[in-house]
Amino acid sequence: MATIGLTGLSKSFGKTRAVHDLSVDIADGEFFVILGPSGAGKTTTLKSIAGLVDIDAGTVTIGGNDVTRVEPYHRNVAMAFESYALYPQKTVSENLASPLRSGRSGRFTDAQRAERIDQVTTTLGINALLKRFPRELSNGQRQRVALGRVLVRPADVYLLDEPLSHLDAKLRAAMRAELKQLGAMSKTTTVYVTHDYQEALALGDRIAVLREGSLVQIGTPEEIWRRPADTFVARALGQPEINILDGVVDDGRIRLGSDAAAFDLPLPADVRRLTGDRVRVGLRPCDIHVVGAESTSARLSGTVRLAERLGRNIELTVDVGGEQLIVLSSGREGVDEGSRVSMTVADNDVHVFAAGDGDTALLGADDNTLEAAL
Amino acid sequence: MALKMRRSELLPGQKRLSPGSVVADVGLIGWFLFSLFPIAWMVILALKNAEEQTTTYFQFSPTWSNFATVLSDKGTQMTSVDFKAALLTSLLNCGGAVIVSLVIGIPAAYAAGRWKYKGSNDLMFQMLSFRFAPELMVIVPLFVIYNQIGLFDTKVGMIWVLQLVTMPLVVWILRSYFEDLPADLEQAALLDGYTRTRAFVMVALPIVRPGIAAAALLAFIFAWNNYVFPLILADSNAGTVTVAITKFLGGGGQAYYNLTAAAAIIAALPPLILALTIQRYLVRGLSFGAVKA
Repeated sequence: MATIGLTGLSKSFGKTRAVHDLSVDIADGEFFVILGPSGAGKTTTLKSIAGLVDIDAGTVTIGGNDVTRVEPYHRNVAMAFESYALYPQKTVSENLASPLRSGRSGRFTDAQRAERIDQVTTTLGINALLKRFPRELSNGQRQRVALGRVLVRPADVYLLDEPLSHLDAKLRAAMRAELKQLGAMSKTTTVYVTHDYQEALALGDRIAVLREGSLVQIGTPEEIWRRPADTFVARALGQPEINILDGVVDDGRIRLGSDAAAFDLPLPADVRRLTGDRVRVGLRPCDIHVVGAESTSARLSGTVRLAERLGRNIELTVDVGGEQLIVLSSGREGVDEGSRVSMTVADNDVHVFAAGDGDTALLGADDNTLEAAL
Repeated sequence: MALKMRRSELLPGQKRLSPGSVVADVGLIGWFLFSLFPIAWMVILALKNAEEQTTTYFQFSPTWSNFATVLSDKGTQMTSVDFKAALLTSLLNCGGAVIVSLVIGIPAAYAAGRWKYKGSNDLMFQMLSFRFAPELMVIVPLFVIYNQIGLFDTKVGMIWVLQLVTMPLVVWILRSYFEDLPADLEQAALLDGYTRTRAFVMVALPIVRPGIAAAALLAFIFAWNNYVFPLILADSNAGTVTVAITKFLGGGGQAYYNLTAAAAIIAALPPLILALTIQRYLVRGLSFGAVKA
């Protein structure tokens, strides 16, 4: 039971800046997800909380106590490593017993130890593996043992570094659902690192998006999904990736596409841009709805260039006014390659970003500060 | 008809027998026999009696008596050195030197493998450089110092000076083992609630055991083969087999080549036995480096 506070956390390895001036407050019992591509500083942040890296600047508090200079074994923190870090010379059950034997996570009798291990291995479905050595396990099994070594002990904080990354897709979805229901997890403050946006959205009470060691956005899954702070966050979430189109504001509407076959979308009311201003428009493939063949009420219409069936959905590449739009369709509309389709987009699904190259900020209700930065 | 085998009959991994590879194999076998010849010559010489010891043809009446002579009082009288005692001294010197090197070298190698700082590579290179210079270069000052502080011809003195031979080996070999060991393992132990010392003993040490076996064996062999240090820094008390063997060559008197060869064979046995005993650790040690955890 503990809050976590990071203030001005910075860490460099040689010339590489792993984490830069990161400040985050995590509430007691919260399930906090850190999302970012590889090299964004996620693991370094986690190891800073654990005390496994000497941070260059900033402070770390756990449960209100400053632990910046406290040894890892005094922090009462449990961590699942991305590399599993199972002791190769010990069996699965010895590995799981290790944190219970050290005497620093509480005193346990043999019976209590056995009971805790049994409980965890039942939850994780690794009961049959207790006598095996790590080298005799598959990667997925190793990962579950690593997770078990965390869950088996009482701790103030659970730190999980990509704990599902090596499972196959089916098991991953199942484990994701189970993780959410685990009693220990829901009571203990958990920091969960992942590069998988689906895990982040599904599990997190809140999500922090990191890029190159800096915090880009922090918020609930709903906020991150509905109002991505910039094109980087918008691109990081969603598969297939969000469509980003360049456009020009023209009398309360945004003109998109090449001149010959231009089309337009309404400019959201909270975006204050004048005629002639350049903007970027983000449209998620799943927010574009195919309404069938040519229809006058629709906002967009184009020609299907490519249709790929991905199980549940069909991913369409549609040529709209010279722009290639990726659209997810349910497949019931019966669209074929080469045919014309009409599509609609809800007003609040139109994300408008500042113009420019690279990652640009979202424009909207509170974009005054953002404008100042342009 | 191996030479006429069709490609379709070959299993994956099999190679066709080509004239080139046959020539190469024959050449390598020839080179192998050529390299082993000094050892064969030593064995033959050790089995000859005194009359035949200088003959060069391979016809002789083999005898085991040379080995008995070397180990008996008769041999001691001939050379004024007790070969059995020298054998025991060698065991004590080299065993002691390896143990001291392991006790100091394992923590040193761990520190060198885990903590990198400015100049840490220079320090390691400095240690290795003890092995560059010929021992003869440092032997004169060492002789003077040993005489002054009373370490001349003592086993402690020999164990100490042999650190020049064994310590760099132990530290360098084990450092690479510790570097290959993922730091995550010890970090996991820290978070499990163990101190750094206990994480080292509980996690790191058992995993590098094959490396320790390999380093210990190599250090023992190098220490055992050392000749210059015991020759100059020791006499009857701390003298080793390497020096004792040469006494059979007689220094001015009669040279007993057959006894010398027999003594050399006996002296080669302890490292050989040791190597065979820890062989299975060595093989595991080699594969440990290959499959990085």
